[in-house]
Amino acid sequence: MDRLKIERVGGFAGVGGPHLKSRGEVAVSDLSAADQKMVDSLFADPSKVPAAHPGQADAFSYRITRGARTIEVPEHAVPPTIRSSVKDVLD
Amino acid sequence: MPCTCCIIPNDVLTRLSQDKKLSAPLRKQMVDTVQISHELRELRTQAAKLTNVVAARASGLVTLAAAPAVTVYDCKHTQTLPGTPVAKPKTSSDASVKRTFNQTTKVAKFYQQVFNRNSIDDHGMTMMSSAHYGEKYNNAMWNGSQMIYGDGDGSIFVDFTKGNDVIGHELTHGVTQHSLQLAYSGDAGGLNESISDCFGSMFRQWEAKQDVKKADWLIGKDIMGPGAKKKGFTCLRDMADPAAKHCLAPQPTKYSQITPGMDPHYSSGPPNLAFYTACTTLGGYSWAKIGQVWYHSLTGFGPTPNMTMKAFAARTRQGAHTLYPGDAAVLAAVDTGWKKVGL
Repeated sequence: MDRLKIERVGGFAGVGGPHLKSRGEVAVSDLSAADQKMVDSLFADPSKVPAAHPGQADAFSYRITRGARTIEVPEHAVPPTIRSSVKDVLD
Repeated sequence: MPCTCCIIPNDVLTRLSQDKKLSAPLRKQMVDTVQISHELRELRTQAAKLTNVVAARASGLVTLAAAPAVTVYDCKHTQTLPGTPVAKPKTSSDASVKRTFNQTTKVAKFYQQVFNRNSIDDHGMTMMSSAHYGEKYNNAMWNGSQMIYGDGDGSIFVDFTKGNDVIGHELTHGVTQHSLQLAYSGDAGGLNESISDCFGSMFRQWEAKQDVKKADWLIGKDIMGPGAKKKGFTCLRDMADPAAKHCLAPQPTKYSQITPGMDPHYSSGPPNLAFYTACTTLGGYSWAKIGQVWYHSLTGFGPTPNMTMKAFAARTRQGAHTLYPGDAAVLAAVDTGWKKVGL
């Protein structure tokens, strides 16, 4: 349960579609104590996931999977370590 | 009755009023005339001043309507917004900054001249953009108050400011936010994305003065990087052929193919194809009539955040009839467009 699987989706290009994927992995232990606490609290209560900014469009969101559970978090609420873990690839 | 005409000069009237050969009542009338003449001149002077002030202010308002302020910030490859303000983006040596300024200014002109809209909110709102967002950032977006552009990773995508349709697309999200206020999921999400593609493409066509036959109807053609092109992807989306193999993000072509939870960049396929079909069925310039119908449907009725595609289609059909009652070909073209995608 130390690994977080990350998938970035959305954006102007519709990342996550048939040809363009953006994926990565992060060890929970690599996150700062504050970020670990935030991730824990989001998995404990997904209703605490911050909402997207009103009116925003084309922003990325991140599907974060720990074990069998996945939460989706708007980019502005995702810690930089998780944001920078993904790599865009063409399938 | 005193004479109030001003043909006789005041100095003559004054001299005559002192001529004792004339009757006392007549001399009194001449004094009164001089007095009234003076007050009338004062009144005309004030009226002239007022006219000048009004003219100066009105001129200023017209200028504001034609050109809202355009500002550009440089994020310098960070994700901190808005970044550092660029003092003179119009003449910047940074190509991304200069392009952002110039194209945003042209989008303002497009909305002003074609749709009589004063900026994003129709009230002269400053158009604010941040360039060089993030590190090799493969995205452009509207965050609810400004545009944001990444440089691309140089392989899949190049600098997102290179696409005039991209800039038109992002600004149009702002217009949608200040009009129909569409949500970003379900039918409304697909419509939201489609409207940005439609107006982004129309802006691209308007800039190049292309009619519907010459237009490429591609979204993202100018931001495709060498790695994507090598695999045969020439664009992100093709409004004329949403499911085409050359699309990096191929879309459904029928409304019935939209699935629950689908990313709005995919569910926008059917309304994109409907718009393309309507435009090419009618011919001419996309923005001349079909674009006006879409703009009317977007801005003419207040917010409808959860609007369905069916309801939007109905609104454009009604709009075609309302805007062009004597031109049945417009309604017929709109109807052909929606029927093609099953709406």
